[in-house]
Amino acid sequence: MAYESPHSVVYYDPKKAYEGYTLIDPLGSREAYLIDMEGRIVHQWKFANMPALNGIFLPTGNFLRPQQTPLGDEELRIIGLAIAGRGGEIVEVDWDGNLVWKWEDLYMNHTITRWSNGNTMVVRWYRTPDEIIPEVPGGFSRTELTVEGNKVMWADGLQEVTPDGKIAWEWISFEHMKPEEWPICPLCPRSEWTHANSVIEMPDGNVMICCRHISQIFVIDKKTGNIIWRWGEGELAHPHDPTLVSNDNILLFDNGGHRQDGSNISWSRVLEVNMKTGRIEWEYRGNPPMEFYSALCAGCQRLPNGNTLICETMVGRVFEITRDGEIVWEFVNPFYNQWLKDIFGRTNQVFRSYRYGPDFPGLKGKNLDPNNYQELNKLYGPDAQK
Amino acid sequence: MGYARTKLTGVTVNMKFKAYNGYTLILPLGAKKAYLIDMEGHVVHQWQLPRPPALYGELLPNSNLLYAGYVAEGPLAEFEGAGGEILELDWDGNTVWSYKDPYLHHCFSRLYNGNTLVARWVPVPKAIASRVKGGLIGTEREGLMWGDCLQEINPNGKIVWEWLAHEHLDLEVDTICPLCARSQWTEISSIEALPQSDDILVSLRRTDSVAIIDKASGNIKWRWGAGEIKHPPDATMLDNGRILLYDSGYHYPAPAFAYSRLLEVDPNENKMVWEYKEAYWVDFYGAFMGNCQRLHAGNTLVSEAPTGRVFETTRKGDMVWEFVNPKRISHPVYGHHNIVPQAYRYGPEYEAFRGKKLEHGSLLGQIS
Repeated sequence: MAYESPHSVVYYDPKKAYEGYTLIDPLGSREAYLIDMEGRIVHQWKFANMPALNGIFLPTGNFLRPQQTPLGDEELRIIGLAIAGRGGEIVEVDWDGNLVWKWEDLYMNHTITRWSNGNTMVVRWYRTPDEIIPEVPGGFSRTELTVEGNKVMWADGLQEVTPDGKIAWEWISFEHMKPEEWPICPLCPRSEWTHANSVIEMPDGNVMICCRHISQIFVIDKKTGNIIWRWGEGELAHPHDPTLVSNDNILLFDNGGHRQDGSNISWSRVLEVNMKTGRIEWEYRGNPPMEFYSALCAGCQRLPNGNTLICETMVGRVFEITRDGEIVWEFVNPFYNQWLKDIFGRTNQVFRSYRYGPDFPGLKGKNLDPNNYQELNKLYGPDAQK
Repeated sequence: MGYARTKLTGVTVNMKFKAYNGYTLILPLGAKKAYLIDMEGHVVHQWQLPRPPALYGELLPNSNLLYAGYVAEGPLAEFEGAGGEILELDWDGNTVWSYKDPYLHHCFSRLYNGNTLVARWVPVPKAIASRVKGGLIGTEREGLMWGDCLQEINPNGKIVWEWLAHEHLDLEVDTICPLCARSQWTEISSIEALPQSDDILVSLRRTDSVAIIDKASGNIKWRWGAGEIKHPPDATMLDNGRILLYDSGYHYPAPAFAYSRLLEVDPNENKMVWEYKEAYWVDFYGAFMGNCQRLHAGNTLVSEAPTGRVFETTRKGDMVWEFVNPKRISHPVYGHHNIVPQAYRYGPEYEAFRGKKLEHGSLLGQIS
């Protein structure tokens, strides 16, 4: 973007946008915010750690946040997991920031979801067995991690954690994946096989996962552990954030990183695919296509009025479009930090953003007066001098 | 179209005593106009072009505009940077010289001897093409892989020198980026005749390197970039012998961070000695096209390209001038874009302006 691009809410059409509050949990930040449609901060949560990679405001009014814990040198030596998306702990806090639940796991990555039974599904890393590593095709050669002199390729798996900290269910990818059927993107490092970034609960209780390194989404049958459905090969490039928007349709963010269409343009899209037919039924791209692109991260949320909220992480931009692709709300994150200074420099990235309507149960009875945050709004609100 | 990205247009940053004062030449992609704008964005001169640009044009010391024109009916018209005719226009837009060849693309360089170095596509012989490594399997263009060829054309249109890339490239070293189509081998993105020698500096987009060709033998006497840069659109030699290049970063292996940078490489030591990135690295990203020009006092002018953004940075990395093209045009592949493939700055003392009247015209966004 241009040097002095505008920040906070830069466009708002009250007649077409879905009224509510938007969660902004910037990457690298120790604060998360709820903002109103004009960009005024109406609530702030404070944390000891940075998000891994964004929090979720629950219908109960609590805030569930996977977080990145600092790694000591010893831990770093053992697990070699200094990947930017790593977590370490999950905290659940109430509206006032009081801790109500905590779960610690050195090997969790950044993907969690609260399951309908109250458990929490956590994606975590497992070391691919040495004999399987050479069978996994693809990836940029010789880029496996080295830990204590051994070649390491991390695979994904899941643990379903109960509120009292028991593991109710576990699934490990390499126990159910034939390597030759799941090649890694040719330009991605072989330090990770799949790199899961999203997990969602299907209506029948099965588990859908989205993986960046293999550019596909797939469904695991919870009873057997078998992968019963997959989609995306040849269509997706480093996707994120699938959600079910109807009985058959999945909404997801197709980033476009390492896209194999032979073109020179970097472009992202948000699409809706019918799970039964495998056909794309709706799609949004930028016009020009170069002006909507997030190489990494990013997310999308279908709103009750049919609009879609899109988070274009790499430029800190969250915007809402109608089904016809008209932009009716646009926000650029004013909160900058240097959390990954050696990789990105100074950034205003937001991993994912969510809009909560005024009747969202979690907001009931909550104080949402922007006057509670006058100083913050002076600096970061819509009227701030930038 | 988003609002944040399009709210700011025209000159958005202008640090008067830090930027290199002068006039910036731009040829917006798809339009038939070349504009010379001042530091505030006013149009001081413009040319009506007989053809839209293949990518860029240059203002010669004799005050003529030399550019490669795009021929829509060309045999390889869908290739990025496809040209077809080199045109030289005088100050008033009259065509004073032209050279046609349907296989020309966007690169050219006017030599001191009055000849013009051009680049054209030729098919790579199948026996060689089948042994070229890299690229996406089965993506040749109708079964052919196109390679680069340089020619020196004299003012009468005669070819006085020719260089075929496929006769000099190294099959082990010059490999196509794994995510690119095998429709081309090297995809030369810039050519520059080096002063004080007959050598030619080229940037090779699809094989991720820059190289110097020895004109007499045709040998590639220096090569740099593999494993260091991705898809460079431009390289130029500085007075001190270093190579300034624009590393687009497109198809960067590893997590696709997607940022561009400028580098200065010492060709004797074969290493990078200076680097420029934006404070938020991702804020400078040009996936395709683009150029970099070193100005006096060490500032560099860059056309980011896909964003229509041209900026000038000091050697320390401070942005002292920025311009965003306010004019948009529609294209089936690029959408409703404002792409400025390349930009060049000329100081007010430049020979071309002697005796010329430069009007203080309207801002670019206000003229049709």
